[in-house]
Amino acid sequence: MVEQTRAHYQAELEQLEASALGGLDLVSEQLGRTIEAVEQQDVELAQQVIVDDDRIDGRYLEVHQSLIALLATQSPVATDLRLISALLHVLKNVERMGDQCVNVCKLIPLTGNEPPADAEMLSRVVTMGKQARTLISQAKRAFEERDVAMAQDLVRQDDVVDNLNRECFHLALEIGDDADKREWAMTMLLGARAIERIGDNAVDIGEQVAFVVTGLFREFEDASHPDG
Amino acid sequence: MTREERRAESGRQTREAAAERAAIAVRPEEFQQGGAGSREKVFELKGVGVDYSGATAVKDITMDVRRNDVTALIGPSGCGKSTLLRCLNRMNDLIPGASVHGELLYHGEDLYGSAVDPVQVRKLIGMVFQKPNPFPKSIFDNVAFGPRILGRKENLDEAVEGALRGAALWDEVKDRLEDNAFGLSGGQQQRLCIARCIAVQPDTILMDEPCSALDPISTGKIEDLMIELKEEFSIVIVTHNMQQAARVSDRTAFLMVELDADEDNRWGRLVEYDETEKIFTNPSDRRTEDYVSGKVG
Repeated sequence: MVEQTRAHYQAELEQLEASALGGLDLVSEQLGRTIEAVEQQDVELAQQVIVDDDRIDGRYLEVHQSLIALLATQSPVATDLRLISALLHVLKNVERMGDQCVNVCKLIPLTGNEPPADAEMLSRVVTMGKQARTLISQAKRAFEERDVAMAQDLVRQDDVVDNLNRECFHLALEIGDDADKREWAMTMLLGARAIERIGDNAVDIGEQVAFVVTGLFREFEDASHPDG
Repeated sequence: MTREERRAESGRQTREAAAERAAIAVRPEEFQQGGAGSREKVFELKGVGVDYSGATAVKDITMDVRRNDVTALIGPSGCGKSTLLRCLNRMNDLIPGASVHGELLYHGEDLYGSAVDPVQVRKLIGMVFQKPNPFPKSIFDNVAFGPRILGRKENLDEAVEGALRGAALWDEVKDRLEDNAFGLSGGQQQRLCIARCIAVQPDTILMDEPCSALDPISTGKIEDLMIELKEEFSIVIVTHNMQQAARVSDRTAFLMVELDADEDNRWGRLVEYDETEKIFTNPSDRRTEDYVSGKVG
């Protein structure tokens, strides 16, 4: 006697979730090219990343508008309402992560064609980028599978990014007296900071996974009150 | 200020901020679950069931209705919402073959006790029906009907004005109180029925889909009215409109139809009863979730 109803609405919601989470694939691709541009000092590739950010912004606008329309026309409640609320957050995170890739790429021309790169620091920035990509794909999977444990594990993965960022800071402090090298190190620190924020955005997505599943919102880690 | 002094000052400020936070902290679980509270109970139902000529209509309902709440009963057609509502003021007594069992307390007293007068019960627990049902009388006489029956002869004007004001209708009808009530719009007629109900000063109002015959503007007025009326009365409402339950009620009970093994007999059963916010954001039972989301019919 139980009859499934509102099939079109359900299909639309599923499609919008896929589109919003697909934004994470776009970001991962952008971050991959950003890392390559940093590693190779590839100004053209960096420019391409900056231009392609419009794709992410377009995805944001399109899915955001559709979710608002769904809220207005379908009066979603319960899990559907939490899902839509979470997707609006995820979209914002996707858009911010895209902007962080742009921020890194805008730094690349500033360091010149043959920058006085410090191999140790460069390797850490590259590793940070790769780790941040791992976080992005894990956040996406956790959301798709509604896996709270996997979402919470993002905190541990993000610690790796945070530690590398701190190491970059110390390496920059000790980089020596050469003015060009110091300038390069300062520029790289800004890039490392942008990648570190991408990691934080991935953790935010994990928190939304927990909200969708449990109905309770909790920050996995409270940066402003680390001692509870 | 030296670097050490700055650090010490910063540490002091952090500790002070932490102490302040601890003093004003709102625990998220309390905030998010709406705080249960323990207000006075108007009705206490324990294992209440209703049979019509031996056929079970609703079974084993256990729930409390709190004072000055709007309590919504929702569920698919045939789940026994209206039957349950009618139990609350002994309207089922008027249906031949109907029998109510289990324990139903009203302010701690057995509502179905042998010494209880059903007429007195219906004075205290008024009812507003799906379709407005004004009497073929003037607006004034409609509202004065109840007080006159109860023997009130003095200050009727005052009582009628008070009830019409209470039902947010006074300003619209004060200059035509002697006009026939049938000349009012559907929404005004329904508010007139609410005025007629509150004119006898009940403590609880039962509403059986009071807006199903009304347009959105009239529905909005009745919903606003419910929120005002609950300051003074307790309200139990049956509604098919999920959003109406979400908008006006404090607590929501979800009933659904249960079938026996042969699918020959069906009856209503309470699935979940909780704060309305919880029911519509994070219900505990999958069946509630599916119903309020409109995923099953």
